[in-house]
Amino acid sequence: MSFFSFLGNATAQDSITILSPVKSIEFKDAFAGWQIIANAGQTDVTRIASYKSTNPKVARVDEKGFVEPVGDGQATIHVTHQGKILDVPVDVSGVSNGRPIDFRTEIVPLLSKLGCNAGGCHGKASGQNGFKLSLFGFDADFDFESIVNEARGRRIFPANPEKSLFIQKASGQMPHGGGKRLIPDSNDYQIVKRWIAAGTPPVAKNVPTVKRIQMIPNDRIYKQGDTQQVAVIAEYTDGSFRDVTRQSEFASNLDVIAVADATGFIKAGKLSGEAAVMGRHMGHVAVTRVLVPHGEALKEIPGFKPTSQIDLLAIAKWKKLGLQPTPVCDDATFIRRLSVDLCGRLPTLEETTAFVKDTDTNKRAKLVDTLLDSADYPAYFAMKWGSILRNSNHAGSDRASYAFHNWIRDMIARNRPYDEFVRGVVAASGEWQDAPAINWYWQSRDDQLHQVSADTSQVFLGVRLQCARCHHHPYERWGQGDYYGLTGFFTRLGKKSFGEPPPYFTSASVTSSEKNPLTGKSPEPKFLDGPEMKFSSEEDPRHALVDWMAKPENPFFSKALVNRMWGHFLGRGLFQEVDDQRETNPPSNPELLDYLAKEFVSHKFDVKHVIRLITTSSVYQLGSEPTEHNKNDHQNFARYYARRMPAEVFLDAVNQVTGNKSGFSGISANGRAIDLPHENFGSYFLDTFDRPKRVTGCECERSTGATLAQVLLLANSDEMEGKINTAQGRLAKLMKQNLPAPEMIDNLYQVAFSRLPTAKEKARSLDHVNKSDNKQQALEDLLWVILNSKEFMFNH
Amino acid sequence: MLEFIGKGSTTCDGVNRRSFLKVGSLALGGLTLPQLLKARAASKPSKKRSVILIWQAGGPSHIDMYDLKPNAPSEIRGEFKPIATNVPGIQIGEHLPLQSKIMDKLSILRSACHTNAGHGMGSQWMLTGYQPTIEVNDNIFPSLGSVVAKMNGANNPSMPPYVNLPKLLNLGKAAYLGASYNPFAPDNDPNMEGFKVRNLSLPSKINVDRLSRRRDLLNDLDNIRRDIDTKGDLVGLDSFYKDAMEMVTNTKAQDAFDMQRESVVLRDTYGRNDLGQSCLLARRLVEAGVTFVTIQAGGGWDTHGDNFKGLKNNLLPKFDRALTALVEDLHDRGMSDDVLVMAMGEFGRTPKINSGAGRDHWPGAMSVVYSGGGLKMGQVVGSTNANAEYPTTKPATPGCVLSTMYHCLGIDHHFAFHDQAQRPMPILSEGEPIQELIG
Repeated sequence: MSFFSFLGNATAQDSITILSPVKSIEFKDAFAGWQIIANAGQTDVTRIASYKSTNPKVARVDEKGFVEPVGDGQATIHVTHQGKILDVPVDVSGVSNGRPIDFRTEIVPLLSKLGCNAGGCHGKASGQNGFKLSLFGFDADFDFESIVNEARGRRIFPANPEKSLFIQKASGQMPHGGGKRLIPDSNDYQIVKRWIAAGTPPVAKNVPTVKRIQMIPNDRIYKQGDTQQVAVIAEYTDGSFRDVTRQSEFASNLDVIAVADATGFIKAGKLSGEAAVMGRHMGHVAVTRVLVPHGEALKEIPGFKPTSQIDLLAIAKWKKLGLQPTPVCDDATFIRRLSVDLCGRLPTLEETTAFVKDTDTNKRAKLVDTLLDSADYPAYFAMKWGSILRNSNHAGSDRASYAFHNWIRDMIARNRPYDEFVRGVVAASGEWQDAPAINWYWQSRDDQLHQVSADTSQVFLGVRLQCARCHHHPYERWGQGDYYGLTGFFTRLGKKSFGEPPPYFTSASVTSSEKNPLTGKSPEPKFLDGPEMKFSSEEDPRHALVDWMAKPENPFFSKALVNRMWGHFLGRGLFQEVDDQRETNPPSNPELLDYLAKEFVSHKFDVKHVIRLITTSSVYQLGSEPTEHNKNDHQNFARYYARRMPAEVFLDAVNQVTGNKSGFSGISANGRAIDLPHENFGSYFLDTFDRPKRVTGCECERSTGATLAQVLLLANSDEMEGKINTAQGRLAKLMKQNLPAPEMIDNLYQVAFSRLPTAKEKARSLDHVNKSDNKQQALEDLLWVILNSKEFMFNH
Repeated sequence: MLEFIGKGSTTCDGVNRRSFLKVGSLALGGLTLPQLLKARAASKPSKKRSVILIWQAGGPSHIDMYDLKPNAPSEIRGEFKPIATNVPGIQIGEHLPLQSKIMDKLSILRSACHTNAGHGMGSQWMLTGYQPTIEVNDNIFPSLGSVVAKMNGANNPSMPPYVNLPKLLNLGKAAYLGASYNPFAPDNDPNMEGFKVRNLSLPSKINVDRLSRRRDLLNDLDNIRRDIDTKGDLVGLDSFYKDAMEMVTNTKAQDAFDMQRESVVLRDTYGRNDLGQSCLLARRLVEAGVTFVTIQAGGGWDTHGDNFKGLKNNLLPKFDRALTALVEDLHDRGMSDDVLVMAMGEFGRTPKINSGAGRDHWPGAMSVVYSGGGLKMGQVVGSTNANAEYPTTKPATPGCVLSTMYHCLGIDHHFAFHDQAQRPMPILSEGEPIQELIG
């Protein structure tokens, strides 16, 4: 740790500064290198400055500021920029008699850098043309076997290293499907040659391994088009560190904001926003954050009055980014938005009228409380969780799926602490009548425990661990040991041989035949980033797993929930997707995420509290219309991101406006689409609007894109005509009351949009009605238009 | 909006990609319109081609259809005998007699293969080019038709680009390309009397005038700003409204789906069953400007039991008739170069016959039929070993099978989309077009 703590501007002279953790460069072997990062003021000049070594026989430096050892001795690198010179001393030893070349330290990173072990090439599970490497070089011993001993050693020709198949193919001197990767006579080429000439030594014992890596700088504010050279520094198990910039790969999570090339040179694009550029070396990842502001940094945000901690934390970020929010929305917009987001329905005309009229300055917070206490909040969130928890009636679960649905709804209605809810699912035991959440297990019918392990991690911890079942996670520190560690909590899960679903229980001994491929044995329980555990045969390890989740210091659990809620209400997670938290996918506002997570913990996992915090904030209540100052914002919530209503909510909204009932059989006559306990209630409407099939725990299962079939259904179907002109419907009732046309138009607008028509809209609508010789049909037309308008389909 | 970022990059198989278009993550794997138009312009062949894929869900038995092994032991070769075709030297199974007479208009790839013997995963692999890591009944990767819809659009703008017949295919969806590229399906069997496409003709009480008055009113009143969402759904919806209204009011689409316009004789030639009539409808659709049609070729190809009876009494006669009629019809109309017909399933079947006279799942070798589309016809490509277990020459991965199809459509299969995790996902991650076919 000592190394990282004194990271900073170590040497300064006039206008050039070097970003470096050390005051001088010290090379102790022939394979070292060092990337100089030169700043002039706040600008990166690494690629503009010129470099000169005072003793090229000791150290050489290229035009990109990369220093390499040549021979033992001392040298100085002159860094020159605009007439200013800065000297960087270099001390080289061990070139002639330092440590020997090491397969893991020198060769494996090359396999990654050159793309040999990528998922599309030799790194994929089946290898490529008979030659297989571990994905991204996570298994050096395997790679060594592959290169040196497999295929009867034909890949290496010790007598003449350059004639080795390994070199010949990689350098394109022999036909190679992957083309020319290794440039002859390049440094990389020399290293490989040297390794073969040295007799292809295996991974040396006692050679320190990488403990962590860090990127320099780790964040920066860019202007459009700005560039930045970054360095990657690895810290080793023996406390030493070295520059591994040239042995690392780089990738941006948002290429429209910034891209990085193979040497770690970052270039910001023409768009404002934020990106995280990942550096990866030997299975370790680090990020540097690229922040491209929308405008000049602001001292204050004009016209925005913070009313909550969320607002203050958002403001801090907006100031940095030069973002100005859209003004807070009006009352009518707010009640419609909140009713849809919180209750999955439109507000009634009466609710809207009363709310708009109410003069209480605290009325928005009051509305949040009223709706949270209504039966619609648990109904809607039971639908959401039913989908995430894959509650289905498949495999004989018809009655169990009702029971599970009701259990979820009841837990939400009683606002039971979230950890209790999770315990009810993850540690469910018994018959479905008593523990309906066993349907979560039953729907996986998963003796390998793959779905159970992956879902537990993704749904409750927000960590997508499933990659690590087969290989090390490419963008995270997770390996197979972590994946199978989680699996280890479920290996004693047993089920009886009767009933659908059958009773589940925790057996005294292992029931799963699944093996941890690293050990060849049944997986042993280990907490993510935590210790291995042993349990007696009386204990149910799943309870220990939930205990661990619910510890205040658990780094995943509370963040996963608050981010899911944030994503639900704001249309995008603080990290996005909402269940994908990892270092290389950083939150757009970490302070805000931390604040919400802390609130969640200190309020004993009270979900309503989190919802209250979010929905009463001014950030949630911003208007959805982009302004000049935030039109490019897609990450920092400077306006409410409008989105389509989910399939079920939309069908209910259509029925609400037209005055129809859903008519699903198997639930109560007043049951709505959001009340359906499972996904197998036949509905062309819901299927066409992409109701989730409940086959994954990922919320991304619900896609929003438009389709032709949706439009044909809405604009051109007997189904919709029937809803519009049914004798029991809203329009028929309005006609019966024989109201004047303007009043009927007002009514339809208010029910669908929670607002009155504008003068222009009213005039156009009236004109349509008056011109028609059939008032009923003319109003049907207007209702058709309302249902087909985007304002109706979107929550905004 | 988002913009191009050129990137010279070399794929694993050594092909230098042209600067590919980058997708804004903000549009979730979606290209912006100008990007898309440019991509399309770059990939458009001079001719507007289309594809009809006959999908034999369940896994058709290669060793009983196109790759017979008369010299193998009886527990492998089975009951069927090879017969000569109109191309000297090429033999196929005796229960494909109609196809044997048009072999010059077909090419058979005998050496297709992969390694996944599960229906869901094998199907996903063959229908997307990507092997999924988990067994799910939904697309993780975009189906061929969705990719084609995204890259080429419809050949005629008053038609949908991608259609499934007669119903939506389980694994025919767009995944991370976005629901806009999901297939359109009539949701009814074209073999039924009074076959109609759901919601394509006007509702009973609405006439064209009234619909057009509604449209005018909608145009005047539907004024919410189009830039309030971040995913482009609003703009997407608008474009679908235009398409939908076009389809409903313009008779072209309705006519294309109107089976009554075909002669009784031709309808009989295709076979009066769902497969036959779907093939005929597919021809009508590509004629009208649909770019990609996938036909679910009935069910029953999963012949674990009574393989031989099932094939000879039911599956093969229907399939033989439908495919032959389609190929001949396309030739008669001079469309064979513009339309590629393919027939395949998710895998072949075990050469060794099981105790129930059936054959089980076998991805080690399978046969794929190609016809037309500008490919070289009248040949067999690749071969398998004595027991039809594995390719011995020209092994063709799913990527090879599919890239050959993309090649016909002028689509660069190295072009990369982005999935939900922002991983660049090339249209195909492996495989190059089969040289013998593209000539």
